[in-house]
Amino acid sequence: MVAGALQMTVETRCFAGSILFFQQPGFHPTRVLFAEPEHFSTLESVLLVAAILASAALFFWRFGPILRNILRSKKDANFSLFPLGRRVWDFFWEVLCQGKVIRQRPLPGLAHAFVFWGFLAFALVSVNHFATGFGLGFLSPERLLGGLYFLFAAVWALLVAVSIAGLFVRRFFVRPIWLGKKVSYESGFIAFLIFLLMATYLAAYFVAPGSLQIKALWWTHTLALLIFLPLIPHTKHLHLVLSPLTVFLKRDGFSKIPPLAGDEDFGLVAGKDVTQLISLQTYSCVECGRCTEHCPAATTGKVLNPKEIILGLRTYLNEFGPASDTPLLTEQRIASPDNPPAKYLSMEAAFECTTCGSCEYQCPVGIQHVPIIVGLRRGATNTGAWEDDYGTKLFLALEKNGNALGLSATERDKFIQKQAFPIFDGTQEYCLWLGCMGGYDPKGREIIADFARVMQHLGTSFGVLKKEKCTGDPARRLGNDLVFQTLAEAGLKTFETAKVQKIVAICPHCVRTIATDWREFGIAPEIEHHSEFMARHKDRLPKQQGESIVYHDPCYLGRYQEIYDEPRAVVAQAGTLVEAPRSHERSFCCGAGGGLAFLGEEKGERVSHVRARELADTGAQVVGTACPFCNTMFRDALTAVSDTPPQLLDIAQLTARALPASQPQSSESQPPVSGGVQ
Amino acid sequence: MKIVVAIKQVPERDAPIHIASDGKWIDEGDLNYTINEPDAYALEEALQLKEKNGTGEVIVVCAGPERVQSTLREALAKGADRAIHIEADDLGSRDTLGVAQVLADAVKSESPDLILTGLQSDDLGLGQTGVVLAELLGIPSATIIMHVEPTASGLKVNRELEDGWFQHVELPLPALLTIQSGGNKLRYATLMGIKKAKTKELKTVPAAAASGAPAITLERVYLPEKQKKTEMLTGSPAEIAAKIVEKLKFEVRVL
Amino acid sequence: MSGVLVVMEQRSGTWNRMSFEALAAGQQLATKLGTACSAAVIGAGVDSLSSELSKKKLAKVYAVQHDQLGTYTADGYVAALEQLIQQTAPDYILFPHTYQVRDFAPALATRLKQVLISDVIAIHDGPVFVRQLLQGKLNADYRHSGSGPCLVSIQAGTFRSDAVEEGSSTVENFSPQLSADLLRAKPGEPFRESAQTVDLTAAPVIVSVGRGIGEQDNLGVVEELASALGAELAASRPICDNGWLPMERQVGSSGQTVSPKLYIAVGISGAIQHLVGMKGSKSVIAINKDENAPIFEVADYGVVGDLFEIVPELTKAVLASRS
Repeated sequence: MVAGALQMTVETRCFAGSILFFQQPGFHPTRVLFAEPEHFSTLESVLLVAAILASAALFFWRFGPILRNILRSKKDANFSLFPLGRRVWDFFWEVLCQGKVIRQRPLPGLAHAFVFWGFLAFALVSVNHFATGFGLGFLSPERLLGGLYFLFAAVWALLVAVSIAGLFVRRFFVRPIWLGKKVSYESGFIAFLIFLLMATYLAAYFVAPGSLQIKALWWTHTLALLIFLPLIPHTKHLHLVLSPLTVFLKRDGFSKIPPLAGDEDFGLVAGKDVTQLISLQTYSCVECGRCTEHCPAATTGKVLNPKEIILGLRTYLNEFGPASDTPLLTEQRIASPDNPPAKYLSMEAAFECTTCGSCEYQCPVGIQHVPIIVGLRRGATNTGAWEDDYGTKLFLALEKNGNALGLSATERDKFIQKQAFPIFDGTQEYCLWLGCMGGYDPKGREIIADFARVMQHLGTSFGVLKKEKCTGDPARRLGNDLVFQTLAEAGLKTFETAKVQKIVAICPHCVRTIATDWREFGIAPEIEHHSEFMARHKDRLPKQQGESIVYHDPCYLGRYQEIYDEPRAVVAQAGTLVEAPRSHERSFCCGAGGGLAFLGEEKGERVSHVRARELADTGAQVVGTACPFCNTMFRDALTAVSDTPPQLLDIAQLTARALPASQPQSSESQPPVSGGVQ
Repeated sequence: MKIVVAIKQVPERDAPIHIASDGKWIDEGDLNYTINEPDAYALEEALQLKEKNGTGEVIVVCAGPERVQSTLREALAKGADRAIHIEADDLGSRDTLGVAQVLADAVKSESPDLILTGLQSDDLGLGQTGVVLAELLGIPSATIIMHVEPTASGLKVNRELEDGWFQHVELPLPALLTIQSGGNKLRYATLMGIKKAKTKELKTVPAAAASGAPAITLERVYLPEKQKKTEMLTGSPAEIAAKIVEKLKFEVRVL
Repeated sequence: MSGVLVVMEQRSGTWNRMSFEALAAGQQLATKLGTACSAAVIGAGVDSLSSELSKKKLAKVYAVQHDQLGTYTADGYVAALEQLIQQTAPDYILFPHTYQVRDFAPALATRLKQVLISDVIAIHDGPVFVRQLLQGKLNADYRHSGSGPCLVSIQAGTFRSDAVEEGSSTVENFSPQLSADLLRAKPGEPFRESAQTVDLTAAPVIVSVGRGIGEQDNLGVVEELASALGAELAASRPICDNGWLPMERQVGSSGQTVSPKLYIAVGISGAIQHLVGMKGSKSVIAINKDENAPIFEVADYGVVGDLFEIVPELTKAVLASRS
């Protein structure tokens, strides 16, 4: 009786159809009909139900544990759903518009976008497809709306089929290394399934409704879908389900290091420290390899591979679960058949990271790599497991001398006296923050002296603090929360006592750390980078002509704070601005960040040399920097990569060189004023 | 092995030097304090001995006013098991014998197997407290030690001598060693260490009153005067070279 | 109780030369105080050494000998000296501030209920003994305030060993009572980490190089100066730690103590650990680009400038004057 009813409904529809485009056997240019099967036997219905149940069961059999792993992970400290605005925007732009996917890898990105949008377009089609199997189909190919929709879907099917074929060719024939060295059969199979789904859909236009062929196509399509479904949680295609959520729930702020939660939290030591967000993110990884592609460490022969760290964490969660005490890092696990050492999820790899943020920036599914890597470092450093000579030396220097270079604080005092800088006493507008490089490094001091001249030229009052300690940036990035907290709290107190209201600094690391990382312990006065200051006053800065200057975006100014235009405005005043091949958010790290400037020799090719070569190859006469660390790194690197290296100048130096010489120069290489001994 | 490490809290190396009004020491108002560096190496040696052995206890002892507790806590954070603060506000008026007596009183009841301390302090630098403490406790001592190795009958240590010479010395336990800087790599204080330190015992004991007058007294401190006048030579490099050769010929007489 | 007793140091029949500086100090102190100065040498079979001392202006030379004193041990030396002091009752006991003295003298002082005034850099009228505090940033005047003998150890280079007055004295043998189980520590044979081929202590002219040289490749600049002067090459600790020069060329508190006729410090800042090793030099020339470098405190002649410009010119000028 059911069958009879079904039969009647189908016949009625066929009969009621009015717009026909194609018809078996030949095609009519004026009539196209999307064919549908007309009759399903009881057996078929039973089989269909069974298949659906089986597919769903297999899906949840795998997805259940994953969901459990995520939900059972530690709650994230300090997580807030609000403000919602940014989350909604990110969801709209990154997920719905596929903004990052396309922009950072245009051609494959567009292909993927088509597949994604195609999936969205097919939503109703797929629902209708299954409904048809139960005689409950609600989209009529003969009606105008139904027919248009099926046509709409058909266009998408074509786009998807072409795109997926292209992506297949890319993965299996072009073989970009970012997708991994191993051939991924699952990816191939799924590409095939998607293609099959589109093919079986399109083919429905070429067969007669109610025919055997359409039935065959229908079942093929169904089975393809039902096989696809359980494969989702077993493969990286889990991102279909998770990544929209992942993007929405991202921590607010770039490279946001969460505070430690309580006395027992030392960072990511074992499974039980992995938080819900991190779990969600590792399960969302699409294995696209964009993070690794842009990683300065991975591309210069280091062990560090951001993609493999995420996948390594995922493998760990699958094997040990989110409550495990087994250490995450290889070096801390006892090697055994059950605990095989993982090359990538290791202390060695974690400490090769410059925290440049390219990985996090590139990730299209919302994975935030930097807090994860810093979390792993915290787990090693806060527990004393990280035993590195240089690291220890750095921490002891920060503890004893309050600066990262381990120099006596009297050296900074001598510099201030020599430059005759006014001491900040609350009457000046700005507190000029020297930082470790500005206070102790010869080149950093030159930059400070030149910027001071610029400020004097602009008539801006400033003073320097009597005593300054490091902001704690290297300690923070290397995971030493004890030293960082001590320095941050001391720094906040110093600003409060001195009644500082506005700070200007030459170092993006100082700016970012004071403005953002110190928030955990209090609010610092407003601080800006000297590029922002100078850009505001650029009309009063001398206009220089001619020289070509290639500007290098520092990681901590560019990706971290999205300050791209201000330094360029300053450079444009000083000469002709030239862009490096990788600029703005794609700028390639100088290699100093993450505390690495203070650690030992790096493996493989030097990151600074790679970037220096890129900058020198632009043919510019000058390399313009806005960070004293970039400046230090390029100083040696440029002479190493070129026989006729371009000049290297900070934006402050570029500006000051054209100022009228009203003040004595700052250079450390000047002969002394008198030959007497103190 | 039960190891006692005697540490001293001293002004930081960068400390500003202003002579106090009584002329007998420096102004303590602006000073920051830290652990005496050779004592930090002694502590490191003790911790490494305990870690290598797998068992044992490291007890840190420090005499001084209340502020020394911060240095004791840092030592606990680095891995020491217990701390003893010998409360004494008048250490400046006691001599080495007096200070060592105060330490001996506190340490005696612990009956340690080994006592380690730095070879001298960064502030006074007399370099004797360890040896005097050993003598008061009636145990053997060895100084300027670079490495310590437990043996079946006691210890084998590597002692630094002048001119780049070294020697091994074997000692029975209990014994006292004064440790030279640079023998080991110091460890950094970790967050985990600090948190654990909160639950470790820090006992305060009073110091007995000083018995008798000190044998030596520090009368006054003052900034060093330069005893010789340095003649600075100026000019172009060639001119300077000529001037030096003059001096070498006629004043120093080596040419 | 009277007089000054100087405790000399020897190892295997060879003097530690610093002892003669202490001897000069003892003679001068005794003269000031109007008392006699005596010397003691400890060991087994030290007759030739004591007869050498008998040619100095001393009241007595005590040859403290015992089989158990053949090799240095703290227990042996403390016990032996305690007995000698009880017998001779000097007012002042002077030591050179050597590694060995640091090892036993504090224990000896404790036995005598005294405290050693260590590492003295000057003896002023009083007598007032001057020591350095806070790594040389401060000087301090110490006085002996108790009853009983005053023990003092003298920093290297404070007195000149060639200022010891000649004369004559008698040698008295002193055999302390030492029990068989007295010696608790068993010392081994001294050894060096590397084979020694250089004796900086004998060199009349030393050219010493520090961190200012920058890189190992630049050492040629100072090597040329050294060879032009016929001098030995030495270095401060960082250079040797880097392996650019062997450890035996290190001058400083953890290296060699030298007192040549001429010491040229090139690119050395003059940290206290280095100064201690060379301030006994008769003449010091320092070349450093930092006018505030502490090395200038101990230099007779100073040049503030770039060593890479000065040193080659100097080498040229020296060679020219020699030809």
